[in-house]
Amino acid sequence: MYDRMQTFTANQMTRIHDASMELLSSVGVAFNEPEALEIFASNGFKVDGKTVFMTEAQIQKSLETAPSRFTVTARNPEKSVAVGEDDFVFAPGYGAPFIALPDGSQREATMADYDNFCKLIQTSKTMDMNGFMMVEPGDVAPETANLDMIFSSIVLCDKPFMGSPVSKQGALDCIEMASIIWGGKDKLIAAGPVSVSLINSLSPLQFSDEMAGSLIELARANQACVIASLIVAGSSGPVTLSGGLALQNAEILAGITLAQLVNPGAPVVYGSTFSAMDMRTGGLAIGCPELSMVVSATAQMARFYKLPSRSGGGLTDAHFPDGQAAAESALALSTAARSGVNFILHSAGILGSFIAMSFEKFLMDEEMCGIIRKLIKPIDVSAEAIDVEMIKNVGIGGQYLTQPKTFKLCRTEFYMTDFSNRQNYAGWRAAGSKRIDQVATESLSRRLAAYEKPPIDPDVETALAAYVANRKNKS
Amino acid sequence: MAIQEIFNAVLAFDEATVISKTQAELDGGTDIGTILNDGLISAMDEVGERFSAGELFVPEMLMAAQAMKAGLKILKPHLSAGQSKSKGVVVIGTVKGDLHDIGKNLVSMMMEGAGFEVVDLGVDVDSEKFVKTAAEKSADVIALSALLTTTMPSMESTVKAVKEAGMATRTIIGGAPVTQAFADQIGADGYSADAPGAVKLVKQLVA
Repeated sequence: MYDRMQTFTANQMTRIHDASMELLSSVGVAFNEPEALEIFASNGFKVDGKTVFMTEAQIQKSLETAPSRFTVTARNPEKSVAVGEDDFVFAPGYGAPFIALPDGSQREATMADYDNFCKLIQTSKTMDMNGFMMVEPGDVAPETANLDMIFSSIVLCDKPFMGSPVSKQGALDCIEMASIIWGGKDKLIAAGPVSVSLINSLSPLQFSDEMAGSLIELARANQACVIASLIVAGSSGPVTLSGGLALQNAEILAGITLAQLVNPGAPVVYGSTFSAMDMRTGGLAIGCPELSMVVSATAQMARFYKLPSRSGGGLTDAHFPDGQAAAESALALSTAARSGVNFILHSAGILGSFIAMSFEKFLMDEEMCGIIRKLIKPIDVSAEAIDVEMIKNVGIGGQYLTQPKTFKLCRTEFYMTDFSNRQNYAGWRAAGSKRIDQVATESLSRRLAAYEKPPIDPDVETALAAYVANRKNKS
Repeated sequence: MAIQEIFNAVLAFDEATVISKTQAELDGGTDIGTILNDGLISAMDEVGERFSAGELFVPEMLMAAQAMKAGLKILKPHLSAGQSKSKGVVVIGTVKGDLHDIGKNLVSMMMEGAGFEVVDLGVDVDSEKFVKTAAEKSADVIALSALLTTTMPSMESTVKAVKEAGMATRTIIGGAPVTQAFADQIGADGYSADAPGAVKLVKQLVA
């Protein structure tokens, strides 16, 4: 298929690969976690202090055991999702400390906001998975906030959830709580991944003790990990995109190698939130065209290694769900989906370069996710769909409005929007001349009111609550 | 309530049931005016309401109108002179220079569904033809459609021609670029943004 956006040739991808191999063998990657160093050393890797050196053969061997596709099992099995190859998921925004309000101001996010996002995910037509840290709640103790969030994620929503790799203990909390649902750790490991956790490198060429420790525990428990590089081109990575791709590739492959050494076959995702620095302000820019270029390149590099990929989705630097927010988000989201990214994080809600979540933006992005799912759906070219007979019957100068087929398909053939205006000017004026964010604000309370808590075994809920209470007492 | 069943069948786009129930009521001796007004026409009023509220889609509205017309066809031979008198006569067309007819056809079908006698002159209709036909048919309303801003002046000349002919016929206009302000400016008697609104407007004008 012809697409003006760059498609790497095999030769171009090999250049990036070769550059990464040179970095891994000559500079190495630092792991600030003793257990990681032991694992590498015991598998014959050259370790010098905290730095691990990797050869191409060692990397290739670990890639052989990494799956190209896996299923994340939900506690409601109907909502399990596949990640990899042709299958992809939309997951919500992640990590925002603030809520952007309809008047343009921001306030600190709370646990109630987190719970509301869980409820929106549960009732969402387009979010395939629940998130983690959709907002960073400021009104609960930070040391144990991960427990509150995982509890809400599991109890308020029955879609697959994301883990809490805030620390090695955080990763273990997620595994323990998942074990409660699945009836023990052995059964959890046998069930395959039930959660997806984000493991990020500390660019350039490092993994923190929290991230490396979490990765080891999660791989051991057969939980899926997205191993991602968060390079900011021009500050924590090279200023050129190709240099950044070589650096990110080295970091991701190093993380994936560790996961495969811990548990050959552990589900991993090749991830990236690599973007550019705004050279005028020194701030991170995620609404920039370079981000979307990297999204496309990352998906291609992941396929080069036959791995599932992750990128950002509805990303923007705007602080209000305005034209900039909608345009930047739609560009990145559609690039991710069209490029074949398998795990599209930040699909809904993000504003202001990750600083805030907006309920209005969440609803608008959700709609865009539905539009993009439709956009990439193949056009049916069966004889029944083309229906030459009908076109002949209508003939020259006829009309199709009263054809039985039009009547039959008028509700299903075209994507119906919930928020985007389709009224004529008079109708729009009569309805109050509302902008899309205002329509979204009005619908939010109705949406939350329609939420119903999904059924959960009361014993399981009690056991989860007890685990959270017990951990809070200890910390 | 068999009349209610006719009403329901129109709303269910079920032409076969509209025909069979209308025939059954007719055979059973039910007052024809009751079948017409409480069954068929009030069902189309409801269809118009539901369309305006966004509940019914365009092809569904047209399917309901077709079902209604099928019932009307059964009643027609039996209607007395008084009963068969339509609610009013509407001459409709797309103005000179404009070939767009989807919106005009929608309005036309909705007007028929509401019990008006509709004379559809098609597209690219000049003012003389509107005036002549309206005079011949003793039309109550002339409905003008335009999709192009470049053909909107033809609305103005037609409205003017109707007035100059000294006719009592009212004029209404509609189409994507048309506004209430434009209607006021050219001295038209009404404007509607959509088909059900046009039906309501004509009902008010002939009342």
